[in-house]
Amino acid sequence: DQEVSSGSGPHCSKLCLANKLSASRLPQDERKPCILVDSHEITSGLEVISSLRSTHGFHVEVCPLNVCDYIVSNRMVVERRSRSDMQNTVNKSKFVEQIQCLKSMFERICVIVEKDREKPGDTSRIFRRTKSYDSLLISLIGAGIRILFSSCQEETADLLKELCLVEQRKNAGIHIPVLLNSKHCEALPFYLSIPNISYITALNMGHQFPSVKKMANSSPEEISMYAQVTHQKAEEICRYIHYVFDIQMLPSDLNQERLKSDA
Amino acid sequence: MDWNPADGTGPVHVPLGHVVANEKWRGSQLAQEMQGKIKLIFEDGATLADFYLSSRSCILYITEADLVAGNSYRKRLVRVRNSSTLQGIVVVEKTGMSEQYFPAVQKFTVLDLGMVLLPVASQREASCLIVQLVQEQAREPSRNPFLRKRRSVLSEASLVRTVQQIPGVGRVKAPLLLQRFSSIQRLSNASTQELEPVVGQAAAQHIHAFFTQLR
Repeated sequence: DQEVSSGSGPHCSKLCLANKLSASRLPQDERKPCILVDSHEITSGLEVISSLRSTHGFHVEVCPLNVCDYIVSNRMVVERRSRSDMQNTVNKSKFVEQIQCLKSMFERICVIVEKDREKPGDTSRIFRRTKSYDSLLISLIGAGIRILFSSCQEETADLLKELCLVEQRKNAGIHIPVLLNSKHCEALPFYLSIPNISYITALNMGHQFPSVKKMANSSPEEISMYAQVTHQKAEEICRYIHYVFDIQMLPSDLNQERLKSDA
Repeated sequence: MDWNPADGTGPVHVPLGHVVANEKWRGSQLAQEMQGKIKLIFEDGATLADFYLSSRSCILYITEADLVAGNSYRKRLVRVRNSSTLQGIVVVEKTGMSEQYFPAVQKFTVLDLGMVLLPVASQREASCLIVQLVQEQAREPSRNPFLRKRRSVLSEASLVRTVQQIPGVGRVKAPLLLQRFSSIQRLSNASTQELEPVVGQAAAQHIHAFFTQLR
């Protein structure tokens, strides 16, 4: 029973409704586990996606996540990296920047280091362990980031499945229908524009708050409960919602534009 | 030299820049490779781990033979996991022969026990890795690039971007709205009448609907 997702259409909204109804009734383990996948993985990790869907029976939702590869729970993000990418020192600063960005959005981060696919006769890809590769791994460990090693895309899918199940057992599983109706969709970009908010947090907000006004007038406790975030994160969101705007502090290019339009 | 409880999970004293190694590694390739770069102290007796990097962190080394032999290594991992004072890093020999057992080790170590796992192809690779681990631990944590804080963007610019996500509000109206209502929370509570003088009638209705519409 594979689903056609990432698309829209009437049957999707029906599915969304069915999910909504069943979510409250079915015990946790009977529900299909859900995982969010960034759209660029369709080209780079097609076998991961199809394996998750067909072998493991996951509900895989392709979304424009942009900053990350997979979201497996309300708090956990997974980055899939090829081993040659990790070896390549040219990519290091970009990778560091990306992980820092993810750290501002997610409580837990996991990196799956996947072995590159070998072409017969291609010897250029022979893996030679370097000092910088070791140092990268050690730095990741030091920052509390989990690392898993995979030999192929199928194994990566299996690891994602396991991570998802562990997170579900810890009550952090994704429980909302990812396909939102058009009214939800309107609020999603608004929630996504809040600094350091993950796609799943924005989805949770869009789904759990009856209106944007209700969200904007919520206490940190309510935000923490509905958006499924830590108390600290909820306070950060609350501070942003209540932040008093000062036009003088606006970066000059934006401000200039405004003055021009005033004149 | 130190007090050790019977199960070997007690604290082990590790002098700075040294590694305390289990006696069984004496003369091994792994120990020899390391000895050129760091000082090893061999300790006899009921130590649980193979190497102690500090009194709080240790390395559990699973050889190719351990893997092929079965699951006996698991008991050792669990004992370190259950000790409250010791952080264990598991280094496992992943070779052509032991490769098939690796997924099971990884699942058990990382997903079930929540410990760190690092595969190596040989004792030589392991020695390089352990030496780097020791050097890294001696460093300031702020040297770790992943622990550095990102520069935060000024809230004013993000606020304008957020308000721009409201249907009907662009780069001109967004700062005007924020100037008049000062925060997103106050803006969300503005009535159509209050909004009208700032953005006009049509936009005022859009904005009000956006905030109050039930989803």
